Amino acid sequence: MVVTQELLKRTPLPIAVLDANLRFLACSDFWKQHVPDTDSLLGKPFKETMPELPEELYLDFHYCLEGVEHRTDTLRFVDSRGHAFWYEWKVNSWLGDAGEVNGLIVILEDRTAQKRNEELLERAQEVARIGGWEVDLIKGTMYWSRITKEIHEVPEDFEPNLETGINFYKEGESRDTITRLVGTAMEKGQGWDTELQIITATGKELWVRAKGEAELLDGKCVRLTGTFQDIDKRKKAELEFNALSHRLQMATQTSGIGIWEHNLSTEEVIWDANMYAIYGIRREDFASAREAWDAVAFLEDKDPTVNKVRQAMERGEDVSTMFRAQRPDGDIRWIKAFATTVKDTYGKPVKMLGVNWDITELRNTQLQLQQSEASLKGAFENSRVGMALVGMDGRFMDANPSLCDSLGYSREGLLAKTFQEITHPEDLDADLEMLGEVMEGKRETYQIEKRYIHRNGNIVYVYLTVTGVKDIHGKLSHFISQIVDITSRTEAENRLKHLLDLTGKQNESLVNFAHIVSHNLRSHATNLSMLTQLLINDKIEEGQKEYALNMLHKAADGLHETIEHLNEVVQVKVIRNENLKALNLSKIVEKVLVDLNTQIRQSQTTLQMEIPAGLKVRGVSAYAESILLNLISNALKYRHPDKANRIEIRAVDTGETVTVTIADNGLGIDMARHQRKLFGMYKTFHNNKDAKGIGLFITKNQIESMGGKIHVTSMVNEGSTFTVEFLKSK
Amino acid sequence: MMSAAFKEVCIIDDDPIYQFGMKILMSEVDFSEQILIYQDGQEAIDGLLQKLGRGEALPPVIFLDLNMPIKDGWDFLDDFVQIPHNNREKVTIYVISSSINPADRERARQYEVVGNYIVKPISSENLKEIIAAHG
Repeated sequence: MVVTQELLKRTPLPIAVLDANLRFLACSDFWKQHVPDTDSLLGKPFKETMPELPEELYLDFHYCLEGVEHRTDTLRFVDSRGHAFWYEWKVNSWLGDAGEVNGLIVILEDRTAQKRNEELLERAQEVARIGGWEVDLIKGTMYWSRITKEIHEVPEDFEPNLETGINFYKEGESRDTITRLVGTAMEKGQGWDTELQIITATGKELWVRAKGEAELLDGKCVRLTGTFQDIDKRKKAELEFNALSHRLQMATQTSGIGIWEHNLSTEEVIWDANMYAIYGIRREDFASAREAWDAVAFLEDKDPTVNKVRQAMERGEDVSTMFRAQRPDGDIRWIKAFATTVKDTYGKPVKMLGVNWDITELRNTQLQLQQSEASLKGAFENSRVGMALVGMDGRFMDANPSLCDSLGYSREGLLAKTFQEITHPEDLDADLEMLGEVMEGKRETYQIEKRYIHRNGNIVYVYLTVTGVKDIHGKLSHFISQIVDITSRTEAENRLKHLLDLTGKQNESLVNFAHIVSHNLRSHATNLSMLTQLLINDKIEEGQKEYALNMLHKAADGLHETIEHLNEVVQVKVIRNENLKALNLSKIVEKVLVDLNTQIRQSQTTLQMEIPAGLKVRGVSAYAESILLNLISNALKYRHPDKANRIEIRAVDTGETVTVTIADNGLGIDMARHQRKLFGMYKTFHNNKDAKGIGLFITKNQIESMGGKIHVTSMVNEGSTFTVEFLKSK
Repeated sequence: MMSAAFKEVCIIDDDPIYQFGMKILMSEVDFSEQILIYQDGQEAIDGLLQKLGRGEALPPVIFLDLNMPIKDGWDFLDDFVQIPHNNREKVTIYVISSSINPADRERARQYEVVGNYIVKPISSENLKEIIAAHG
């Protein structure tokens, strides 16, 4: 038994012998995997000395003690602390001489580690999407693992063979390649490892990694085994990345962007081919990129650039800088550099990655632009022509001193305004209409003559040119206005016009004067001459002599009167603006009515008056009185014999002027006939004994001398309405 | 006594002194048996049309002043030329004006019916010439 005991102890299995009460009788050294000190176990009960074990084991113990010869099982067990174990056991009963059960022989193996590996392997295959396959060339069968089937998207009961397997590969390069590789493997026993495309059962295109090995027996291939991995995602990403980096490479090459890398730990600098191209040098002429940099860097810019980049590297920042480089042919180029610091996983800078490109042309263009902008700005600031940039809403975006000067605003003051606000209201519509045409794209520019309102309220006459400016997208963004102040010119023109008017009026007076001289004066003179001639020649009979003398006296009187009129006409002349005074209209009318009191009463005239109190006109009071006296007395004089005489006097404030109307219901004037000469001298239109044809002539002259106007509407037997416009006094 | 040169002549003028003088001068040269006097153009046109209405002939000589109230000499001329031609073909109008303005003389010449433009004062010599012209 000693031998037997010793034999048991050395058995290379975890084996134990228990008595019928489940106490240890013996155990092998391999039992140590359960309890380190196996010697201490002897004689001790199994359950109390062993670690926690699955209930199923104790159940099998029970069965065997009951008489069952053999029990075996493998199962996964989670103990009360949550640890998972795999146990595999075999339990045999051993019988005594009488065939009674004396005890149990137990082989208990802890398979946890082994099982875990298997589990992991399976899990790993699942995660990595790796399936397995095997071809038995003797039996002519093929086996696919579950994942292999999943990758091919075939049902689990799918039965593949070598041909169907190969036919899953995409027609063309993939299928040709796998056919060739399998052929070579079967022939020469060579394995393969390749990446190809398959078309799955549902028609999906998939990248797979196919690995295979051949098993040869007596130089003949009997078996092929291998793995099959779904690498679609990675492969596609890889292909995409390749395409991207290819594009990037092409882009950097064609754009002339150089790429460089500066390793911080080794201080090694690497340049790509573009870097050399930028500096117009050849890579083979320099031992290192550093050497090349030393050769091309512009002396003044070298240290500042290096320092700036190094500082950024140390701080782990990005950097953007510009420097000059001198090519071997002496050409100086402006280089723009942008670099970023690459850090390791601990955030420590490890290298600087940068790009450089030549911006010489750009910079030259910029400089030219700056220069032209500067000269434009100079022109803008110093031009005697007013200039402004005007926004789409009419707001001044910028204005030059000349314009500010013309309009009386500071630059800030003007920029707070829109052109609409300072445009003369009467000129705004015309301006807006043209501007609208520019906005609608009907025209690009326009010129108009218009008026602005100076800050002090004066009118500024300008010649305006507006041009639309388009942004980079061709959309209208703002306007350029050029404003030539022609106020002084316009004022001169107006003065000239005024002078012309004055000359015209004076000429008119002269014509009237000539008329009086040539006609009226002469008519009296000729009468005198005729009468005296008759008297001297004694052609007049005695009885008529007294009459003739009477006539002579009348002619002399007429001559005198005409000379008086002549004097009046000469006196009426244009009065200078500053000599016009503010006159209270209603007071003047009252005074005139007092003078005419008798005539009004005698003619039983009804008077209706509407003159706003305090309304003032600009004029000379003697003229204003004379005008009103004349017009009102006319209305009294030429009353209709069959109608109750009525006169209406009205004054209306029209803003710039005051309009006075004197309307009667009298005889009226045949306008078709007399309109032309109504205000002419010595024109009478009624058979009235007092009519001398001088009143309206003088009236018109007086009105015009004060800057006013007169016109008349009339109908025979209906009445006349004289309308007089006086300048308003503000 | 010689018979007068014309049976009837017409004076259109509002000036009583002129009318007075003309009458004396006309009787001196025995110008006309009758003298028609109108104070202004309107009165003259009305009077002459009435005359035609009664079937009478128009006076062969009319002395017309230019400057008159209501209807002046020019207006009269404009109205007069509207009268049917057969009624006025033997009429000659003499414009008698104190105006020495050449424009007036030129304007008067535009009217076919105007025989002459005579500046006041008119004299007996003027009247004799007219008689000679109509002889």
